[in-house]
Amino acid sequence: MTRLDRLTPALLTAPSALVYAGALLVPLAGVLALSLHGFDFEKGVLPGWGLANYQDLFTDPLFGEALARTFRIAGLTTLICLLVGVPEAWIIHRMDPRWRGPMLLVVVGPLLVSVVVRNFGWMVLLGTNGLVNQALTALHVPGAPFRLMFTEGAVVVGLVHVMVPLVVLSVWASLGRLDPVLERAATSLGAGRFTVFTRVVLPNVMPGVMAGALMVFCLSASAFATPAMLGGKRLKVVSSMTYNEFLNTLNWPLGAALATVLMAAILLATLLWTRLVEKRALRRLGEVAQGGPA
Amino acid sequence: MTAPAFLTLDSLGKDYGTVTAVRDVSLSVAPGEFLGLLGPSGCGKTTTLQMIAGFEAPSRGRILMEGRDLTGTPPAQRGIGLVFQSYALFPHMTAAENVAFGLEMRRVPRPERGRRVAEALAQVRLGHLAERFPRNMSGGQQQRVALARALVVEPRLLLLDEPLSNLDAKLREEMQVELRELQRRIGVTTVLVTHDQAEAMALCDRVAIMQGGRVVQIDAPWQAYDIPADAFVADFLGRSNRLPARAASGHAEAAGHRFCLPPELADRQGDILLTIRPERLRIRCERAPESPPGLEGRVQARLFLGGFWLYTVETALGAFAVMAQNTGATPLDEGAAVTLDWDAHSLRRLEPA
Ligand SMILES: Nc1ncnc2c1ncn2[C@@H]1O[C@H](COP(=O)(O)OP(=O)(O)OP(=O)(O)O)[C@@H](O)[C@H]1O
Ligand SMILES: [Mg+2]
Repeated sequence: MTRLDRLTPALLTAPSALVYAGALLVPLAGVLALSLHGFDFEKGVLPGWGLANYQDLFTDPLFGEALARTFRIAGLTTLICLLVGVPEAWIIHRMDPRWRGPMLLVVVGPLLVSVVVRNFGWMVLLGTNGLVNQALTALHVPGAPFRLMFTEGAVVVGLVHVMVPLVVLSVWASLGRLDPVLERAATSLGAGRFTVFTRVVLPNVMPGVMAGALMVFCLSASAFATPAMLGGKRLKVVSSMTYNEFLNTLNWPLGAALATVLMAAILLATLLWTRLVEKRALRRLGEVAQGGPA
Repeated sequence: MTAPAFLTLDSLGKDYGTVTAVRDVSLSVAPGEFLGLLGPSGCGKTTTLQMIAGFEAPSRGRILMEGRDLTGTPPAQRGIGLVFQSYALFPHMTAAENVAFGLEMRRVPRPERGRRVAEALAQVRLGHLAERFPRNMSGGQQQRVALARALVVEPRLLLLDEPLSNLDAKLREEMQVELRELQRRIGVTTVLVTHDQAEAMALCDRVAIMQGGRVVQIDAPWQAYDIPADAFVADFLGRSNRLPARAASGHAEAAGHRFCLPPELADRQGDILLTIRPERLRIRCERAPESPPGLEGRVQARLFLGGFWLYTVETALGAFAVMAQNTGATPLDEGAAVTLDWDAHSLRRLEPA
């Protein structure tokens, strides 16, 4: 009986653990193993083992550039998403209940549109003869038309567009758990609207802000379609390089090495984030952040 | 009240769409007074308090503080200290930081701030818990932090919304004594909202009893208890017995039982609704010889309240609640035949509610 009791949790979690292992760990191990093989254009994947792929990557200035760009884009996207999404969630939260539902739907809108359609939309807007440039030219802005497409800026705009809802929804959930009386308490003590937000609301919705930031960062760093479409061929990020190795060059081991490095880098960044930022922000709320990222 | 009013509510009303939360509240509070706003759930107490604090805009009427109309003064500028039913302490701040918040908003320089925070916490006897977070404090401690936070800014008016309702009975009693003592010492004008009649009677100089968005009586607690304005107040403040009767020439008659009316009711004629408090009734065993005539009945139930026995006595006039002091004598048994009597001046006439 007692033995069965002790086994029960393991038995109950076994199915999901199996699915998890089968669908995630095995392929990951496969990628890792693949990245340790060599490659030849005539013979394909070579049987030997080694770290040659990684050596190649870390001595390749193009890869360094792409890695830096990946994180620059992800970081900037996260920052802008927070600056836009957190106040946005707050404003919707304060709206008349009649308007909240429709507004949330508007906010979630970008998530309902296919990534390809959405990015084509941005291409139409940002092209040299696009709407934005037409408007700027019509307004006689000096220097117009600008080169907007195929810039890091275009990629960030495209990513922010789809990532902001994640921040809004995650902060929204936290706001729902916030005692509305706290705002009145702060106001009755003489705090203005802005102070109420920065001193009382924001510290208490930090869990939502942190979770949103983490989601946006991870998704932006590994985004493929948007950088490929709005950044073009020359602005390589790690995920588009990986795609290229797998499907164009057919150098699978090198692609696997790229994927492994990207994953490790994101993992490292999130670990640093939870250690350095999140823990500090949540300590006051008595919510000790759980060690690993989701 | 002879002193000029500090706070005046003038025909105050509040509608939420078709729902009328507050119908018509007019009252005034003297400087330094402790006023209780007492009424059953949903009668509009919180709404009234939130209108005074400035968080709800009145639909009708005016709020005057020291003669000045408060309409249009934002809550942050009213100088009102507010203690919420849920305390509303800032969870991410320590007790000291919570108390310091209002001083920071008033740009009190740091050294003075520290001194005043320490004083305020000492006042509620929490000096030793200054660095604790609210989540690590008991309900009573949190309540005292909330009180210190409201008082440290030296508000002109203190509003308390059921501040003790989350505490257990023992702690609540302790806090009542402390609250009363603190309010006396500081002398801040205070409005306390509660649905607990015992609490209102224990704490307040005067109570305003509300029903359905209206104030039905404002009096000192013992006056309201002794001479309730209507049947609702009589039932809401403590227990009371109803006695519908017919009056004629200084006497009243009900179900064949005849008794004297007090002098002020002597000229009443016709149907009359009388009431009497349980502790004004005398109960005795029927067997007592040559005793004056009284209302005969039978003990239906008895409840031991420590200092008192509460009997329910079934009589020809209906069930009566009778409070008898616990003198150490053997209590009456359930089912015992008893006689009730009372002094004529203990009877009160009620306007039917
Ligand atoms: N925002 C609102 N919208 C609609 N009706 C409301 C609103 N706030 C309060 N009411 C109604 O107004 C009435 C008075 O509410 P209020 O909160 O003032 O009661 P209360 O006396 O404080 O009761 P309690 O003792 O339960 O706290 C209630 O019937 C309530 O349903
Ligand atoms: Mg209330």
